[in-house]
Amino acid sequence: MKKIISCFLFLGLFFQHFTQLKPQNGIQTSSPQFIAFKNAKIYISPKEIIEEGTLLIQNDKIISVGKNVKIPENTIEINCSNKVITPSFIELYSSVGLSTTKKEENTGLGAYYWNESVHPEYDASDDFQIDYSSSEKLINMGFGLALIHQHNGIVRGSAALVSLGNSDVNKQLIKSQAGFFYSFNKGTSANSYPSSQMGAIALLRQSFYDLEYYHSSTPIERNISLEEWKKKSELPSFFKSEDKWEILRADKIAKEFNQKWNYIGTGKEYSWLPNSKKLSGSIIIPINFPESYDVRDPYIAKQIPLSDLKHWELAPSNPKILADNKISFAITTDGITKSDIFWTNLRKALSRGCSVEQILSSLTTTPAELLGLSGLIGELKSGKLASFVIYSDDPFLKEGVLMSSWLLGKEHVIKSETGKDIRGSYVLTIAKKEYFLEISGTKEKPTGKLTTYIINGNSKSKPIKNDTLYQAVQIIQRDNDIILQFNLNDLNYNGSINLHGKLMGRDAGIIEGDALIPDGRMVYFVASKEKASKVKDDKSVLIIDTSFNGKIWFPNMGFGNDSLPKSNSFVFENVTAWTNEIEGIINNAYVIIENGRIKYVGKEKGNYPKNAIIINGEGKHLTNGIIDEHSHIAISKGVNEGSQAITAEVCIADVVNSDDINIYRQLAGGVTSAQLLHGSANPIGGQSALIKLKWGHRPDDLLISNADGFIKCALGENVKQSNWGDNNTTRFPQTRMGVEQVFYDGFNRAKKYLNEWNNYKLNGGVKPRKDLELEVLGQILNQKRFITCHSYVQSEINMLMHVADSMGIKINTFTHILEGYKVADKMKNHGAGGSTFSDWWAYKFEVNDAIPYNAKLMMDQGVVVAINSDDAEMGRRLNQEAAKSVKYGGMSEIDAWKMVTLNPAKLLHLDNRLGSIKIGKDADLVLWDSNPLSTTSKVDLTMIEGTIYFERKKDEMLQNRNDLERARIISKMLKSNEKGEQTKPYSKKGKRHYHCNTIGEEGTDEENLH
Amino acid sequence: MKFLISLFFLVFFGLVQAQPNRILLVDGFLHVGNGQTIDYALIGIKNGIITEVGNSLINSYDANDWDTIIHLDKKHIYPGFVAANSTLGLTEIDAVRATRDYNETGSFNPHVRTQIAYNVESKVISTVLTNGVLLCQATPRGGIISGTSSIMSLSGWNWEDATIFANDGIHVNWPSSLQGGGWWAEPAPKKQNENYSKQLKELNEFFVMARTYANSPKDVVEYDQRLDAMKECFLGSKRVYFHGDEIQQISDIIEFSKKHEINYPVVIGGYEAHLLGSRMKDSRIPVMLRRIHSLPENEDDPIDQSFKLPYLLKKEGIIFSIQNAGDMEAMNARNLPFQAGTATAYGLSEEEAIEAISLSPCKIMGIDKKFGSIEKGKSATLFVSNGNALEMKTNQPFLILINGKFMPISNFQNELFRKYSEKYLKN
Repeated sequence: MKKIISCFLFLGLFFQHFTQLKPQNGIQTSSPQFIAFKNAKIYISPKEIIEEGTLLIQNDKIISVGKNVKIPENTIEINCSNKVITPSFIELYSSVGLSTTKKEENTGLGAYYWNESVHPEYDASDDFQIDYSSSEKLINMGFGLALIHQHNGIVRGSAALVSLGNSDVNKQLIKSQAGFFYSFNKGTSANSYPSSQMGAIALLRQSFYDLEYYHSSTPIERNISLEEWKKKSELPSFFKSEDKWEILRADKIAKEFNQKWNYIGTGKEYSWLPNSKKLSGSIIIPINFPESYDVRDPYIAKQIPLSDLKHWELAPSNPKILADNKISFAITTDGITKSDIFWTNLRKALSRGCSVEQILSSLTTTPAELLGLSGLIGELKSGKLASFVIYSDDPFLKEGVLMSSWLLGKEHVIKSETGKDIRGSYVLTIAKKEYFLEISGTKEKPTGKLTTYIINGNSKSKPIKNDTLYQAVQIIQRDNDIILQFNLNDLNYNGSINLHGKLMGRDAGIIEGDALIPDGRMVYFVASKEKASKVKDDKSVLIIDTSFNGKIWFPNMGFGNDSLPKSNSFVFENVTAWTNEIEGIINNAYVIIENGRIKYVGKEKGNYPKNAIIINGEGKHLTNGIIDEHSHIAISKGVNEGSQAITAEVCIADVVNSDDINIYRQLAGGVTSAQLLHGSANPIGGQSALIKLKWGHRPDDLLISNADGFIKCALGENVKQSNWGDNNTTRFPQTRMGVEQVFYDGFNRAKKYLNEWNNYKLNGGVKPRKDLELEVLGQILNQKRFITCHSYVQSEINMLMHVADSMGIKINTFTHILEGYKVADKMKNHGAGGSTFSDWWAYKFEVNDAIPYNAKLMMDQGVVVAINSDDAEMGRRLNQEAAKSVKYGGMSEIDAWKMVTLNPAKLLHLDNRLGSIKIGKDADLVLWDSNPLSTTSKVDLTMIEGTIYFERKKDEMLQNRNDLERARIISKMLKSNEKGEQTKPYSKKGKRHYHCNTIGEEGTDEENLH
Repeated sequence: MKFLISLFFLVFFGLVQAQPNRILLVDGFLHVGNGQTIDYALIGIKNGIITEVGNSLINSYDANDWDTIIHLDKKHIYPGFVAANSTLGLTEIDAVRATRDYNETGSFNPHVRTQIAYNVESKVISTVLTNGVLLCQATPRGGIISGTSSIMSLSGWNWEDATIFANDGIHVNWPSSLQGGGWWAEPAPKKQNENYSKQLKELNEFFVMARTYANSPKDVVEYDQRLDAMKECFLGSKRVYFHGDEIQQISDIIEFSKKHEINYPVVIGGYEAHLLGSRMKDSRIPVMLRRIHSLPENEDDPIDQSFKLPYLLKKEGIIFSIQNAGDMEAMNARNLPFQAGTATAYGLSEEEAIEAISLSPCKIMGIDKKFGSIEKGKSATLFVSNGNALEMKTNQPFLILINGKFMPISNFQNELFRKYSEKYLKN
């Protein structure tokens, strides 16, 4: 038997007849075995497209596809001429069908991992239900399959691959444990740890070590989480990133633990991924391109950061740029809730030059590969799942509309066929009165125009322009029924006319029916087509426009570099050189830079390197770059992991943010290096990052290589939580007495830990657990990591030196150290340095005895003293802060200058390569227009390792360039505002800077407790 | 007894004890405060008032007219610098609530007065005085109308003593037009515009009430403490200090001041005031510029925007002074001279920078007849520094006069320095 049934009149006729476990309610329905979709353009795979092809399916499987498919008996044939069929898209980042209430198993009560945000035991398939209303959104976008999991926690557990739709939950669950998810977001976990991103990173690493430990030795306890995790360890893994640099941070962890992670990106990959090292896995990009801002108010428009504007312009090119760089990617709808926005954005990406093949594979074959299920999904080939979508026309090249989605061989109609094309010119006769009716618009949505004309005598003629009137006609087309409405005001009728007729005749050329005329009577009408519309739908053909002018800057924001700056050879002639060495200040000096190092400094002219850039230094001062021993700029998502008294396991180097404008601002103040410190919320905080301010480079390229490691400790009011309000009176310690005990406790535990490991290394036996916190404390005891300790009053300074002495270690640096002058002799004996503020005081009780003579008094006792900022603003004026040492206590200018250069280099163990102008040291140099200790001194240029990162003249050019770029994009945005594209109001981002005391990921406006 | 003092054997401690009242300063380099300078200056002071200002090369003097003659050997003489818009004297330790006396609860508090909360014995004050900042405007914070400020001297036995000018103006915190929802990592849609007009309406209504009250005959209205504190803003010379930085705010402040016929409106902050150009200039509303040592407001603003602001206002012909409100502003008041100094690297001349923290704020606050510059008839409130007082290296006041009285040039911080220096000498 062969039946020909017109496409889409075909609702719900098929019930699949697999053996099902559920008892049947009623009588078993038999169903035909085969369905053939004929005469369609079929995207078999991204690479293989056939015209006039046939797709044959049986139940939920594809039987065959091609131009010449043999159609068996017992097949229902569906004519799909002019239609286009694509494989269903596959969404990898979804939670469709999962209840929104938290339903992971680890609530901190059972025998699970101690931290709730690590719940690998969670399995999305346990939680999966049919939820048609939420899956409908994806179906409307063309998706048929989704990898679902609860978007909650750091180790999130396993995801399930499900089919969308609302047929049968048992069939729709295609594969449980189809993937495994991670993130840095602790989600709804009730644990206070971690409160920062670096804490999340430490927790993730620790949990991997625990996983290894648990399975490598006989566990002393049972842990369901770690047992389940092991079972799932071979699943395809995904990491959800939430900001630009998280992927690079996560990838380091993946590589550390031999994982292959695929990353859900942020849409900013174009700006960094092409010139990054290869990731362990693939990338999945969202296409929720930013909406344009409402920029009609220039007061508002001028506030919008260029970084946002540039991203608005470049975001739709993300797929194209990645493709051009041969980076394969999948696409996720994450962040998009409306199907029309999904399609608009997909076409935007195509119009930016991304190929259809690329887009289609990113939605089908690439996700299938990532899941290891290429044999089952992603293409329309024999044996694969019968999940595909039928469009009215090509959805990529034209604005084809999604008509129906076939999910596991079952149809979900999205849009019924609009019926016949009624466009054309008609003569409309209503009770013998004639009019001309013009129906145009789109086939799906026709619009009408009625021409009445002023009658000149008796002559009936075609309407002439100057004596005609046009009336708009409302048209409703319901299959073969046509409803028309319009108003007339002529000699025949005065009022509203409503017509209801049916399409008749060959080619539907006649509409015939009844008209309700203004006097309330129903009369006969007929409209006969004179000619069919010649209008074609070609206007929606995809137009590729790669002429957008946006360029990616490094970083991609105001003051970003057009390209990464390059190292050069330099000669400074006749310059006043502050050497910080025995030669002191050399007038009329020559300083030669080659290969990023200082090659010569002295009075002689000597040989210049080839192609050296010669800089006339007459009247100018050349110093080495300022080193800020205590800074909190350029840090992502939290400067304090303040949730526990000891968090030695966290590390600022994990969360460096190289896109902080303060890097550039500080370069302009002559700063070339900085120690980015953990805050002071707990006695033993986290490890620091030593960076050079290489503006434009990625976070890891800022880190100073082969440098000693440091860790921040803290004493006094902040760790006692003295100024945190009345609710913070329970975390130990609350007194300086308690602070001492925390240190003893930490170091004693670390000693025991080191012993266990030494024992194991010498005698074997059971391998001890690797504990990242104790590991770091052990490094301190082994003098492989050094303490820089936030401190104020003499009692606590003294105390910590005693603790250190008893442990056989030294406190490397006391930072802030405002009462250091009272115990400078003891510090000298102990061997501690001091990094202090020039003149801060009176901001809290423990700085009551702070004096600006502190630096001078400590220096006179032989303590190595630095002056630091702890403040993004002051960080760019450290030369001025150093000058205050001359005022307060009469320090010499040379000594004052060392406070912000050589001495911090010593405190950071970097004085063998930084801190002075000496042959062989790094060429981190600053050219000042006058004595750098003067209030009026300005930086002409700042270089790091022979590369200029700031130049006053260039800065002016950059300001102009910023303004032009802003104006260009704003005018583009205004055009899109005019076109009525979706806009959003600009909301100003909080202007926040981290200080020692900032808790969590967010600074407050009133932070001043350093 | 007569002091004849040359710099090489200064015994100012004795002067503080003796407090002579006919003083002649000879041969210093005078920064008048109005933009002018006099080399070899001759400054006569009697009973705390400057009686003559001249040039020792031209003008001669009779040594018998003076009980103290001090030869300054070209050292720099400055009018006392003025820390306008400051909580100095109203707070001691920022983190200790018990020591904070500048922020009263409530939104409309024109009647609360800082004058009576001013702690003249503040340890912080003693460290500010010694850098040449000799006057301050004790300014309330918080709410929409924070209260009434007063101009105070940094020396005195009590607040009455220290008062230079009581109740000089009320302070209005203009609502922000741009406060956004969310924060930098997760900005949320802004609903602030709506609130902005609402808050403006509220402010407007209050001013309408206050103006009606001020213009009504005394016997008609019932006494109202709040509105009474506003009276002089409409009838007299009481300033209305509008705190605002954004162009939207400032443009609204100009309109608002005209509408309510405020006699002496002032903008405090003024980050974007220069953008209004001639409209700002023509309004004659002066600007007390925000802290020079502050970061640009927006990511893309020129990196040195805050440093350049004085120049940008000067270029537009807008009347301005420099103040220092912000983080830790009380203790930071001692850095006011250096803020002015920084501006000299960005287009202000040295004398213009001095004026911006001496005569200019005094003019804006209405005390320039007696204070702000070293001119005949004005109060002898001045200091002498070893070098350029706007430079960190050379700001070293060794002679400080407030109303003709010699001030100690040490404070508890010098004392601790001395004490611990001695400790280490003995060891």
